[in-house]
Amino acid sequence: MTGAVQTLDISPVGRVEGDLDVRVDIQDGVVTNAWTSAELFRGFEIILRDKDPQAGLVVTPRACGICGASHLTCAAWALDTAWQTEVPRNAIIARNLGQLAESLQSLPRHHYGLFMIDMCNKNYRNSPFYEEAVKRWAPFTGTHYEHGVTISGRPVEIYALFGGQWPHSSYMVPGGVMCSPTLSDITRSWSILEHFRTNWIEPMWLGCSMERYEEIETYDDFMAWLNEKPEHANSDLGLMWRMGMDVGLDKYGAGLEKFVSWGYLPDEDRYQRPTIDSRNGAMMMPSGVYDASTGTHKLMEQGFAREDTSHAWYDEPGGPVHPYDRTTQPVAKNDGDFDGKYSWSTAVLHADNGHLEAGPLAREMVYGGSHMEGWQHRDGLVLDMHRKMGGSNVLLRHFARMHEFKYIYRHIERCLRNFRLDEPFYVKPKEQDGRGWGATEAIRGALCHWIDVKDGKIQNYQIISPTTWNVGPRSDEQERGPIEEALVGTPIADPADPVEVGHVARSYDSCLVCTVHAHDAKTGKELARFKTA
Amino acid sequence: MANLLWLQGGACSGNTMSFLNAEEPSACDLVTDFGINVLWHPSLGMELGDNLQQMLRDCISGKIKLDIFVFEGSVVQAPDGTGEWNRFAGRAMKDWVQELSDVSDFVVALGDCATWGGIPATAPNPSESVGLQFLKRDHGGFLGKGFKSKAGLPVINIPGCPAHPDWVTQILVGVATGHAGDVALDEFQRPKTFFQSFTQTGCTRNMHFAYKVSATEFGQRKGCLFYDLGCRGPMTHSPCNRILWNRQSSKTRAGMPCMGCTEPEFPFFDLAPGTVFKTQTVMGVPKDLPEGVDKKGYIKLTGAAKTAAPQWAEEDMFVV
Repeated sequence: MTGAVQTLDISPVGRVEGDLDVRVDIQDGVVTNAWTSAELFRGFEIILRDKDPQAGLVVTPRACGICGASHLTCAAWALDTAWQTEVPRNAIIARNLGQLAESLQSLPRHHYGLFMIDMCNKNYRNSPFYEEAVKRWAPFTGTHYEHGVTISGRPVEIYALFGGQWPHSSYMVPGGVMCSPTLSDITRSWSILEHFRTNWIEPMWLGCSMERYEEIETYDDFMAWLNEKPEHANSDLGLMWRMGMDVGLDKYGAGLEKFVSWGYLPDEDRYQRPTIDSRNGAMMMPSGVYDASTGTHKLMEQGFAREDTSHAWYDEPGGPVHPYDRTTQPVAKNDGDFDGKYSWSTAVLHADNGHLEAGPLAREMVYGGSHMEGWQHRDGLVLDMHRKMGGSNVLLRHFARMHEFKYIYRHIERCLRNFRLDEPFYVKPKEQDGRGWGATEAIRGALCHWIDVKDGKIQNYQIISPTTWNVGPRSDEQERGPIEEALVGTPIADPADPVEVGHVARSYDSCLVCTVHAHDAKTGKELARFKTA
Repeated sequence: MANLLWLQGGACSGNTMSFLNAEEPSACDLVTDFGINVLWHPSLGMELGDNLQQMLRDCISGKIKLDIFVFEGSVVQAPDGTGEWNRFAGRAMKDWVQELSDVSDFVVALGDCATWGGIPATAPNPSESVGLQFLKRDHGGFLGKGFKSKAGLPVINIPGCPAHPDWVTQILVGVATGHAGDVALDEFQRPKTFFQSFTQTGCTRNMHFAYKVSATEFGQRKGCLFYDLGCRGPMTHSPCNRILWNRQSSKTRAGMPCMGCTEPEFPFFDLAPGTVFKTQTVMGVPKDLPEGVDKKGYIKLTGAAKTAAPQWAEEDMFVV
């Protein structure tokens, strides 16, 4: 390192859903330091204070129009645990189905709409794959872009059959769901799912049957699949992988190499009396924390979550506190001070492990462990790839996201098979005071809601979204947030068009509209404290 | 060729996601078949950083002609009117909105937040959010009552949380193909073609409404959601049961009460305790009656309906 440090402020970094500003220091064409700033503040948690206990079912999906079903899932389970409801088996399935349909929609939409169009950037014009990339993936006019973006609307048609519409239904309610589907809702859903498989997954994404792809268990299996037939190599997955390797997306974007997942998809026979403590033992997709430096897996519990405001625009004592103990106090002026406070996002931490990365890569790293029960999901492919590739990178992070179609698809099939249409979808609950917690895995990663209902209204509502985990600023111990860390070491070919910064940010599929911490602009009124019993 | 710029303020991207579900025409058809040139969109645009800032400045200077400016999300004015809580491309978003609205031929407010403030403007409105030309029912909003875009129209409001993709694409195609003059607007500047009829128009539960058979709980296979579960279908202007959602259904068809999200007051009653999914009544009569019906008429009508109700209306209808 001999060259002068050049500081680059990038405002905005687009295609990350929300307002993200990035500052990077560049030396000799490589990023040596980075800061991410979330630049929008709407104040959802403060809007929810003193409102109807069920207001979260209406308001929180609007925190994020991309992950609305995921917010609704959290909001419903949070109330279920607070009100101690009974959730009938059909309702558990119908909620899982909504979550899964939204996630399946997001795969081609993010892939074609947000991620792959960067492969058409002029920086890559010398790649042997460039011409084909432009033909397929150019925004609006690319042959596969158009097909992929349009077909991404199909899975949420299934959501609409059960919830009325997507985005922004509130069909999940404490005690179950609002719908009472008929047989034709099920058969139509099957047919939509099949259409998605036979018109996108198999012919365009894989170039083979799903069953063939499901045989892939290791990195070697994957490479063997890639080289097996031209159809595989030239599929969108094959071309993404080969071009990604060619332009070096496997060479940067490692991040902190520590991962978190809440786990999700409760088994319909194990969570009919939902409680916070019994959640981990009821999820088909297990929760976990994976630390790659030690190679260890463990379960994740809400009690380990911490938020730290040392570098965020809140006037609170720095240092990690549990969300129950936040007092949300605004700073008077949100000036960007990169030694001090520079983001609306708090630093979300694990009490013992500091910052953690959330998202599909994190989930897949968790699924590679052996800390889960025998009946829970396990899949070692991405963890094996991670080890063989020498760690995380932009290409693997995006691959992990797309890999998830496999179990999402099979779980939707399972939902449609397991409904018993003559049994109830709703058991009317008794409204009561209490504290609840609901969590899920949005396609972008770990999402959860804490609620405290007192005197028949919301006393406190707290949300931690996957993007808050990922886009958070430095912690009180000066550890960079996951995206900040992933940016370090990134090569910048053209400082006038730092597309590589975009790659890293988009590999996390950030959604800044979710980082919704709240306070009152006028009064700076303090949020009620949670009393930890 | 019409140049379109799309920005988001206090937004959740819900209208963008809804727009991407469009089928006839699809989002891509808009570009390839109808000659709309998307200069930039926060979820879809290629440019970042300085290159985008330059493009925005070129629009404002007139170097790039701006035909249609679509805004999604509320205009955030906090703290104290500065707008600094929503910064974009190096400055307060509200300042971009003002300058871009002033140079655009047409300005479209897309979704409730851009139209009337929406969920972010729910009391206590911590982000000091307003819509482009309305705050709830009050005419004015961010751009002011008298604002007219360069083509001489006020802001075209396409409300909804989110707006249905067809409402967006049909209007954009109309404007881009020179038919803006055919877009008749109602008193809230909503296109009449979509917002003259009611959400109840075409609801599959209309027979239950007619005979006053109520769905008293969620998950029932019969009944109207108006009487007990707080459905606003008879008081809300939208084509949700004429132009179905995601080509399949609507909230009321799936058993969810309409929340009136195309109207300025959404979310109604500011979500006060006791108001969510529960019909508000005074002496047993709903507080909000179907549009144009008075209390006396309503009592007579429901009395007659109850008397006339056939047995089948009381039995499950939407059976497996």
